[in-house]
Amino acid sequence: MGDRSVKAVTIDNLLSGTPDLWQGNRANCNQRTLPSGHRQLDAQLAGGGWPLGAVTEIITDAQGLGELSLLFPTLAELSNKGQWLIMVDPPWVPYPAALLGHGLALDRLLLVHSNNQKESLWACEQALYGSHGGVVLAWPERISFRHLRRLQLAAESNTKAAFLFRPIHAITAPSPAALRLRLQGGTTDIRIEILKCRGPRPTNPIRISPPFSPSLSRAALPPGHAATDSTGGIPGHINEAVELPASTTLN
Amino acid sequence: MKKVAGCQPEPCWLALRFTHLALDQFTRGLPVSTAVRSTADQRARNPAVAITDTINRKDVIIDCNPAAQASGIMPGMPATAAAGILDGLHLQPRKREAEQATLERLAAWCCQYSSQVCIPKNQSNGLRNGPRNGIVLEVGASKRLFGEAPQLATRLERELGQLGYHTTSGTAPTTEAAWLASHDNLHISDRDMIRSQAGPLPLTYLHLDAKQLLAMERMGFRQLRDLLKLPRKAFARRFGPAAADYLDRLLGLQADPQKLYFPPEHFTSRLELPAEIAHRQALLFPLKRMVSELCGVLRGGDNAAQSLHVVLGHEDHDDSSFVLNLQSPTQDPARLMRVMHERIERLQLPQAVRDIHLQAPRLLRFNANQSSLFQDNPGEQEQNIQQLAERLQARLGHKAVGGICGVEDHRPEYSWRMRELTEEPACTPLPHRPAWLLPKPRRCDISRYEILAGPERIESGWWDGRDCRRDYFIVRDQGGSTLWAFHEYKPRQGWFLHGIFA
Repeated sequence: MGDRSVKAVTIDNLLSGTPDLWQGNRANCNQRTLPSGHRQLDAQLAGGGWPLGAVTEIITDAQGLGELSLLFPTLAELSNKGQWLIMVDPPWVPYPAALLGHGLALDRLLLVHSNNQKESLWACEQALYGSHGGVVLAWPERISFRHLRRLQLAAESNTKAAFLFRPIHAITAPSPAALRLRLQGGTTDIRIEILKCRGPRPTNPIRISPPFSPSLSRAALPPGHAATDSTGGIPGHINEAVELPASTTLN
Repeated sequence: MKKVAGCQPEPCWLALRFTHLALDQFTRGLPVSTAVRSTADQRARNPAVAITDTINRKDVIIDCNPAAQASGIMPGMPATAAAGILDGLHLQPRKREAEQATLERLAAWCCQYSSQVCIPKNQSNGLRNGPRNGIVLEVGASKRLFGEAPQLATRLERELGQLGYHTTSGTAPTTEAAWLASHDNLHISDRDMIRSQAGPLPLTYLHLDAKQLLAMERMGFRQLRDLLKLPRKAFARRFGPAAADYLDRLLGLQADPQKLYFPPEHFTSRLELPAEIAHRQALLFPLKRMVSELCGVLRGGDNAAQSLHVVLGHEDHDDSSFVLNLQSPTQDPARLMRVMHERIERLQLPQAVRDIHLQAPRLLRFNANQSSLFQDNPGEQEQNIQQLAERLQARLGHKAVGGICGVEDHRPEYSWRMRELTEEPACTPLPHRPAWLLPKPRRCDISRYEILAGPERIESGWWDGRDCRRDYFIVRDQGGSTLWAFHEYKPRQGWFLHGIFA
């Protein structure tokens, strides 16, 4: 009798102690994560943040829905800790003043420009293997399942976080990514839908504020920021009438 | 004053004798092959090479590699006869300057094991065995670091073998005895043992005039010990004081000061390929050997290299060349080869390669960083990212990798530039600007957008001829994307999109 109860406990322990065994009814607590900086999002993601050592896909209907600013809190924290942010073939020019304004350390930002799709994927893989920690961001136009799998393995080997920004047509393609999100823009907020994740998938979409909203910007401004801005000829706080003061020093 | 006996340890000299130096010049670029009977493919990879030299106005084979020996070619054979035996034989005339340069390069390489390295000079011209091709280094002082002399000798032979050189070695308390010992891989540990251990060696090993050696042979001397039995005075009378001095230096009875070799502050190495290489992948093997040699030289001088020049010579075409630039100085062959590999990948060869010239024009002091057990300290991160940047640059081009930096200008299109990773970024934070800038403002129809905020006036640039006056607005399109648009008054009229709030 005693033997039997001991055995039952052992099997249960074994099951819960095996991180590779995925049990559908509970979130995988052994997933290492990076806090996203958005409380609602963290609450829904397995492990409470962006998965580390895995590929995260962010699928958007269009550009300019806040897909990059969604990552700004994480990127700012990592880069200020001395971790590198590697952007492989960014689609446009990253505006240094804006990135710095969101707290990213510019000296930890590495930009890689390749000539074609093949080189771009190679650079991504090298970036994932190359250094320990940090984040790789990429915007692949088309990427096969096989290549995604390779990136996933590369991210796993060096516990890096990889974020791939993909267009809407990627939504139907199968993917080995650990986390897939879809961003949809609306008039008042951005809807984030979790398409795939480790652990139970939340069905309700998360709503966060768009990258620029008058009320948010004012709240986000640190105190005393307006004063330095107005002397430097930079738009300061935004008032209720949503009007930016014109630049003052115009030489 | 009382002298303390034995406070100065006896020196231990290690002599390295290059048995096939003339041949190694050419064959060190070839992978070692064990196959004797070969297919066409193997023959291409392991060509038969023979070295010729002009002796008495005749071209004679002086050395050949195993592939040539397998076909019956032997040293001493006339070059024309050898060419007749084997069709695809690569005959190369001996290059004495290259041999001397190699000796000096390897002496620099040996500096990683000893602070006293010398290239033994030749006594006179009429030497029977030809000039001495070798290096002598003092290893007694570094016994604790590298182990006993015989172990170090084996290690040196192995490492030089990996670079493509054939050597034999020996150790003894005097340089001349070490040179003798190197013929038979002898290890003489004590000065008193020289007589007994080196005694049975044949006279032909001695570094004496050819005429004298012949005379000794005729007198019935066969071994070194026969000579050592003679009284010194009688020996000097018969063979001259120079030969008597030589024996004294050999036995350690007379001091034998050596001129030490000091490596130069640059590195250059040239490798002539016995058979032309047409595929760029095949260049990696000889390059790897050359880079390993370079790194040994760097370690020897406690130096590091940051840029390498590689020149590839062709038969009748201008040389191809490229430069490998690293983010920081290094002496790690693996790191250099990783970058080399990527650079070779995108190399375009106009013709097959005949020779390889590797240069490190400037050697820098090496700063060793302590590496940590865990890979998350900033120094390690810095190194990793530098090496990553090098690899990416080697394949994608130098300008493809870099950071970004702000420029003090109100016009957004002029307010950024790419920077080198070593440069400090300077920037003023502007949190209300979009994360992405379009490289060029794009004309747009404002009626399709909803204005969220604005205007922000930017008027600047009258001094550089790119004067502009604009009002910037934050707008949203039907899809929900937030964009940055401006209404321009000067120089053009109209609405433009300039950024994306991603």
